Amino acid sequence: MVDYDPTIINKVFEHTDPVEVRPDMIERFCETLGERNPLYTDPAAAKTGPYGGIVAPPSFAVTFRNGRHFFEHIPRFGRRGFDAGKDVEFVAPIHPGDKISLSSHVKEIYEKTGRTGSMVFVVIRSTLTNQNNETVAHIDHRFMNRP
Amino acid sequence: MSTTLDLHTHSEASEDSRAPVEAYLNWIKLRRAERPLDGIVLTEHRQFNRAADYRHLEDKFGIMVLRASEVETNYGHMLVFGVNDDMLARFDFSNIRLDAQTVIDEVARMGGIVVPCHPGRPNIGLYEHYESKPSLENVVAVEALNGGSRKGEDARADELIAKYGYASTGGSDSHLVSLIGLCATRFAADIKDLEGLVRELKTGAYEAVDFRPRRKVVPHAVAVETR
Repeated sequence: MVDYDPTIINKVFEHTDPVEVRPDMIERFCETLGERNPLYTDPAAAKTGPYGGIVAPPSFAVTFRNGRHFFEHIPRFGRRGFDAGKDVEFVAPIHPGDKISLSSHVKEIYEKTGRTGSMVFVVIRSTLTNQNNETVAHIDHRFMNRP
Repeated sequence: MSTTLDLHTHSEASEDSRAPVEAYLNWIKLRRAERPLDGIVLTEHRQFNRAADYRHLEDKFGIMVLRASEVETNYGHMLVFGVNDDMLARFDFSNIRLDAQTVIDEVARMGGIVVPCHPGRPNIGLYEHYESKPSLENVVAVEALNGGSRKGEDARADELIAKYGYASTGGSDSHLVSLIGLCATRFAADIKDLEGLVRELKTGAYEAVDFRPRRKVVPHAVAVETR
């Protein structure tokens, strides 16, 4: 079995300073993606919508960075690996003016075998919270290591 | 009366699948003409969820949902049918280094059956392991058709079947909704539950069936003289 200290599971190892969501950040994000949904792009239309104003598209959640753009303290196994993808759970909309912080912990470590050999996966969960300490999203970053 | 089951599927309970069971069943219901399945067997990776209950979905769609497991051994991946508390106490299903012969023999002793899957696949299939290690005892069947096979992998499975006289199963190995039922197993008997499935798997009275769409033949390019 892969050898690691089990106490690292669920331990928060990184907490970022809050980042304020400016309206132009949402605007640029929508422009880049070609997003035209009025809930995200048209303040007048969004005012009559379910959130009473503009909100960010759900995928905006993945734009918040961890520390120095990458996790500094994730467990590594072997010498090679790569980012094996992300799962994002959207919990609540992000509004302009929200101050978003990320808190990250090791959610899971597991081994598997495939066509190319053995792999160890490390799943880091980042939880995004706003200034009211409400969770707005969970992002599970999956990293593959080749032992 | 016969029964056709996709014996190898992964729902979102497996870490590398995003397919909800309900979406699988809905897909089968809409495409029964192309993939005439009576049911599916969920074979989640390295786990068995005792608590999972899909009876309401079975009733809603009229499609059987049975549960098994895909474990990892020193001879590659293997499907374990008839998982019970004794097996879960005996083996750590999350261990990727299980001893294949022990799993096959112990599962049989505890009332189940093990079917090596995608045997022609590099690294995690029986074929490659048989090239460097002795063949396994008491293998009844192997997965002859796997919906995720690449070119040549099912042919290697056929070689094993011809050489060792194994019975043949089929399964889609689906991780995505649209891939459910691409390959399956047609049993001669009427199967209604897991006990029936295990009983029939032990008999060898079944065949792998292929519902993958045939590729259209693309005509060879013809040179055209241009001026």
